[in-house]
Amino acid sequence: MSTISKITLYILIVLLGVYILAPFGWIFMCSFRPERDLFHVPPQWVPRRVTLDNYNYVFTGEVPEGFEIRGGLRGRISEKARYILPGLKNSSIVALSVMIINLIFGTIAAYTFSRIKFKGSLPAYMFILATRLLPPIAIAVPFYRIVQSLGLLDTHIALILAHCTFTLPFTVWFLTLYLKNVPPSLEEAALVDGCTRLKTLFYIVIPVAIPALAAAGIFALMFSYNEFLFALFLTPTIKSQTVPVIVADVSVNPDVSYALMSVCIVLSIIPLLLFALVFRNYITRGLITALRMK
Amino acid sequence: MPAEKRYAYLSILPVVLIVALFTVYPIIYALWTSFRQIVLYEPYYTPFIGLRNYREVISSDYFREAWQTSLIYTGIALPSVSAMGLGIALLLNTKLKATGVLRVLILLPWAVPAVVSGILWAWIFNSTYGSFNGLLYSLGLIDRYIPLLSRPNTALLCVVFAHIWKEVPLAAILYLSGLQTIPNELYDAAKVDGAGGFTCFRHITVPLLKAIVLIVMIYETIIGIITFDLLYVMTGGGPGGATSLISYFIYEELFRAFNFGHGAALSFILVVAMLVLIIAYLKLLPSREVY
Repeated sequence: MSTISKITLYILIVLLGVYILAPFGWIFMCSFRPERDLFHVPPQWVPRRVTLDNYNYVFTGEVPEGFEIRGGLRGRISEKARYILPGLKNSSIVALSVMIINLIFGTIAAYTFSRIKFKGSLPAYMFILATRLLPPIAIAVPFYRIVQSLGLLDTHIALILAHCTFTLPFTVWFLTLYLKNVPPSLEEAALVDGCTRLKTLFYIVIPVAIPALAAAGIFALMFSYNEFLFALFLTPTIKSQTVPVIVADVSVNPDVSYALMSVCIVLSIIPLLLFALVFRNYITRGLITALRMK
Repeated sequence: MPAEKRYAYLSILPVVLIVALFTVYPIIYALWTSFRQIVLYEPYYTPFIGLRNYREVISSDYFREAWQTSLIYTGIALPSVSAMGLGIALLLNTKLKATGVLRVLILLPWAVPAVVSGILWAWIFNSTYGSFNGLLYSLGLIDRYIPLLSRPNTALLCVVFAHIWKEVPLAAILYLSGLQTIPNELYDAAKVDGAGGFTCFRHITVPLLKAIVLIVMIYETIIGIITFDLLYVMTGGGPGGATSLISYFIYEELFRAFNFGHGAALSFILVVAMLVLIIAYLKLLPSREVY
């Protein structure tokens, strides 16, 4: 590679890095500054005052100085920002459950689709895939009515069911593709020896499919953590509201406190960023192996 | 082998049940609703009105506008995401050391909720205190702040911008995984035969990426048309409906106007439109590896 093209590539890499990181950097900085410092025209690019007051408020409820002056409305919106902590708990419960359900039922179904020939297998598979193409908004109202008649409004279960409906098709598709690439010769010996399908799956297939399972699990978890539309109308109160609903609620208020909104955003993305960083290899590698063309 | 058959049916049952209960029933229900007058102020009077809901929504001005906006939106977002995704994937696939860091960074926008992406960019594009305006101002490019999110044209562009930022990473990762499955021997053989970089790209990379291109196109078209989260937090469909994409329009009919008949009819039109689009893609770019 010539020096010039190398330099061009490095410039592109730096530009791309800035493009990706700039919004994160800005909101991170805003979360550590007093509210009033955010209202400069043009903005203070380098913060003059740095404070932990905003975080302190979200964790303990101690109102940062400067907020009382602005009166009642400020107080109301600030309280909403404190919901982010219970929201994180709700989100974790829902997203982890969705991941576990996907991994158990998705894997078992995908294994069957990839190995056993039976009547109705292709129609069932195609049906599952096709449902993924449905626009969520199209089934919103009937879904709401089902949940209502089951008495599950404002519960974690309602949201878990909704998210499983949207994630299972992808999980099944992804794992079926992957398992088709795993040579069946490994399992044949076990099956001949009288091992059941389920046992074969758990003892022989799953150990070699861990990267794909990890990727599928991560995709399901991320989808659930990020999903907004269904969370918006299935979770009316903080009993079950998830992170996207709470940050949206805080931010669409025209009288939003930008410093507290920044804190909410930072707190809501930290778990995901850590997660993405820890499991980064599984995400890319899992995709590569699953999409390997024969 | 009846035992094996029984196992097969049992093993797919949970998935089929969950998916069927929460999609088949709702679809039938939506179809039924779409032929009736169901409005909030007359909850117990729901007469069968045939195709009137369909006629009413199709002939309304908002319907045409919403589709127009959706098409413009997807028309900007889809090519940008596809092209930038491929470009970034090619960049990440080079042997430079720095690409390792970038491969991790690229996951970040993908990992955050679309709502968060919307809020991040809405704050940056903010009309009175936004840093984008601040940057242009500090550089002397403008002499007063532009209300980006309250002007129809710029508002749509801002939302598309946030959309692209959020969606490019997945496209890039998908393309990258496609690129890495292409055996190096193909390029080596082509180079021996005297092929240049672009010829290699055109005749090896592009044809072998066809399945991935198809996946990215279908996925991004769906995501583009059903965009909702970004609109909710960035513009609320405004100013004056300028960013009301079709699913936001449906949301307004259902949850603001509470006209469930209209909402269901609109949903049905959307489902049919998506099906037509997807079948068109599959015909244009036939590829068996996708399923």
